[in-house]
Amino acid sequence: MVVAIEPEEKAEHPIELVLARLLRLGSLVAAALLAVGIALMVLGQTVLAPKLITAGLLVLLGTPVLRVTAAAVIFVKERDWHFALFSLVVLCAVAAGIYFGKGM
Amino acid sequence: MVITFITIFAIGIAAGVVGAILGLGGGIIIVPALTLGFGMSMRTAVAASTVCIIATSTGAAVAFLRDRLTNTRVAIWLEMGTSLGALTGALVAALVNQRVLFVLFGLLLAYSAYNMFRTRKEHTRPEVVPDAISSKLRLGGSYYDKALGRRVEYQVTRTLPGLIIMYFSGAAAGLLGIGAGIFKVPAMDQVMGMPFKASSATSNFMIGVTAASGAVVYFARGDVKPLVAGPVVLGVLLGAILGARLMMRMPASKIRLFFMPILAYTAIEMIYKGVKWW
Repeated sequence: MVVAIEPEEKAEHPIELVLARLLRLGSLVAAALLAVGIALMVLGQTVLAPKLITAGLLVLLGTPVLRVTAAAVIFVKERDWHFALFSLVVLCAVAAGIYFGKGM
Repeated sequence: MVITFITIFAIGIAAGVVGAILGLGGGIIIVPALTLGFGMSMRTAVAASTVCIIATSTGAAVAFLRDRLTNTRVAIWLEMGTSLGALTGALVAALVNQRVLFVLFGLLLAYSAYNMFRTRKEHTRPEVVPDAISSKLRLGGSYYDKALGRRVEYQVTRTLPGLIIMYFSGAAAGLLGIGAGIFKVPAMDQVMGMPFKASSATSNFMIGVTAASGAVVYFARGDVKPLVAGPVVLGVLLGAILGARLMMRMPASKIRLFFMPILAYTAIEMIYKGVKWW
């Protein structure tokens, strides 16, 4: 399947492509770790398998946070201060959620 | 054990496909399947489902971002509401009467199901005029609709009401453990005037962030069981990638048709939870 993207359009929306690449990397690594972990579990490797699965889940968990961070960096680079600030607010709220959630 | 893995994996795929098409987290399938079908505790099921929300979001977003179906600017603007709302919800959870909230949010969903049903035949909606914030932040967008075979350009309006609704939808997620996408899609589609497919894809993109902080907390408490979450999450990841491809080729009217009964069902379930005698 070939989807033609005009070059000027590519330059107009770089953020989508950067984020897409980041999310694809995150889901591929997570899927690979999960698949190997589950396969080992089925084969009876009960020590290593849960560790690999947990690693896969953690990679997946980190991906959205990394995605907001990457967006923030891109907005700062583009001097789009409004959206850089919005991304920062989101990051702080997520961090605070983790901090308070752990205490409960 | 292999059979259980395969069944859980298959449930994950189904949830991923549905979640990616409708812009939801898929908890509506995963939580009942794991608790009723496998006798797992609510805690284990909700923890697994929260990680699945991230899987749906991440898996589907790759395709949606490439096709510009996701409006990243709208997503980041509204994520401020959802993430702050989720934080508030988690903090005040002990102080509020959950039953009243279930009824209130249930009625809200019922209203938006009715509204969606009422406007189901309207293929051309009135021209959306961007409000001041929308113009200043350049929130409008365009995407190539594979089902229509043409580019769809759109504007976004009622930016502030949208943000406020997202705040409450985030709070509902934090308080009641529901509403990953079920509030977000109607808010963008019906309030902010975005096309349904852009609403669904943008909702999909946003739900991963709100779920991330919850998932970290479940992880820290040890509620995420690798042997349950592993197969279901892998299934959801693959299902979401598949579902995203399907969604881009589906006409928006058909996706709405799938969305409405789920909206109505969730509304009834929430109102029931609120009014039933414990």
